[in-house]
Amino acid sequence: MSVTVKNNGGEMIIDLKPLKDFAEIKKELDRRLGFSDGFLIGTQVTVDIGEINLNKEQIGEIEEILLSYGLHLKGLMSNGPPSDTKESDGNTHFLGHIPYYQETVLICRHLRSGQKFFGEGNVVILGDVNPGAEIVAGGNILVMGALKGMAHAGVFGDETAVISAYRLNPTQLRIANHITRPPDGEEIVVDCPEVARIRAGKVIIEKLKI
Amino acid sequence: MKGRALVITSGKGGVGKTTTTANLGTALAMMGKKIVLVDSDIGLRNLDVVMGLENRIVFDIVDVVNGNCKLKQALIKDKRFEGLFLLPAAQTKDKTAVTPHQMKNLVNELRKDFDFVLVDCPAGIEQGFKNAISGADHAIVVATPEVSSVRDADRIIGLLEAAGLNGPQLLVNRLRGKMVKKGDMMNIEDIVDILSIDLLGVVPEDESIVVSTNRGEPVVIETTSRAGAAYRRIARRITGEEVPILSLDESNNFVDRFKKILKLAR
Repeated sequence: MSVTVKNNGGEMIIDLKPLKDFAEIKKELDRRLGFSDGFLIGTQVTVDIGEINLNKEQIGEIEEILLSYGLHLKGLMSNGPPSDTKESDGNTHFLGHIPYYQETVLICRHLRSGQKFFGEGNVVILGDVNPGAEIVAGGNILVMGALKGMAHAGVFGDETAVISAYRLNPTQLRIANHITRPPDGEEIVVDCPEVARIRAGKVIIEKLKI
Repeated sequence: MKGRALVITSGKGGVGKTTTTANLGTALAMMGKKIVLVDSDIGLRNLDVVMGLENRIVFDIVDVVNGNCKLKQALIKDKRFEGLFLLPAAQTKDKTAVTPHQMKNLVNELRKDFDFVLVDCPAGIEQGFKNAISGADHAIVVATPEVSSVRDADRIIGLLEAAGLNGPQLLVNRLRGKMVKKGDMMNIEDIVDILSIDLLGVVPEDESIVVSTNRGEPVVIETTSRAGAAYRRIARRITGEEVPILSLDESNNFVDRFKKILKLAR
């Protein structure tokens, strides 16, 4: 079987051309990435699917598999005729699974240094969260602004809780009992909304696609 | 092992207590000492930012005194130097979250494991100040060459003596040699005269402080910085070495020295 993984200068291409149907592709992708052992986290991946046509949902499924190993889907390569399902139903949510909470609190102001907010369920903030400020939520956290302080989602132990922000640039992120901080020295400037969630036991930040 | 506990205080705000704490701590750690920096400015913490350790804070001083965590868990290890630790203040509480008695116990606990415990005192003379000085066995008073700063330093020295902390030492910060020469700034003798305490050292005004503070790297690491060199000398003095106080002369480059020689020759 000639399914290959090529590393093309920081970008990875997974060649799945020999495979004939979608279930097989999913299985093989899962098997291949099972060997990767976490060292590829953050890599951009292009998947070559050869002759097969995939619909939007199936592409979403591939993306989910990649993300569960901490990889980002950059694009698909295909030799087949272009699929006609491109602009299909807007029902496919790329936000992935988000846990449901009954209670959501909306805060319409900036959270400044030294201010702390606690919510039993979800917390939505229309404003910035500055360094030194803290938001703690039993559920998910959504910041419609810049998150530069500390955010703790799923404080009662929900590992599926997510933290998303219009600009995600926190001093520290906590989800359930995981604690992460940005790496030292390098400043990463991202100009788009992002979401942080736990995948494969690690807090991973993805672009927020809506 | 029983370490010394020093409190760095000033009364007036913005004279460089936090910068001094960070730099003296780092300089002492560079000399191989085991150091812990304690930020007692609860509610307005800065020491973690100046040290570049803000994003590592999980537990803080209030968690320790309330028993939410062990002391060791709250200590943040510095990313550059072995043997340098920070006990951060809480940001979402205020000064009343800790009592002087608790602070004293905490400092005595830290003393067992470290050569020096440096306590960064908040501005003012209220509870934060009382917390910071309890447990310390020595005080460093930071003052800038300004009348208001010296006045506040005088008040602080009085309060320190009333609290039984005798023999505080003076650190004059942000001195501009050129202005002193022209007579536009108080000179060291004037300040020591007014305060009549021992002079520990003089730190010149230096723009590299601003840069390093913003970057979260103490200036003592930079070999080219004049303020950094001054802090390194003060650190050596703290450990008991005899180091002469640096001259005020700002002009230490080759051309100026050459001019001086010419003047002498004339």
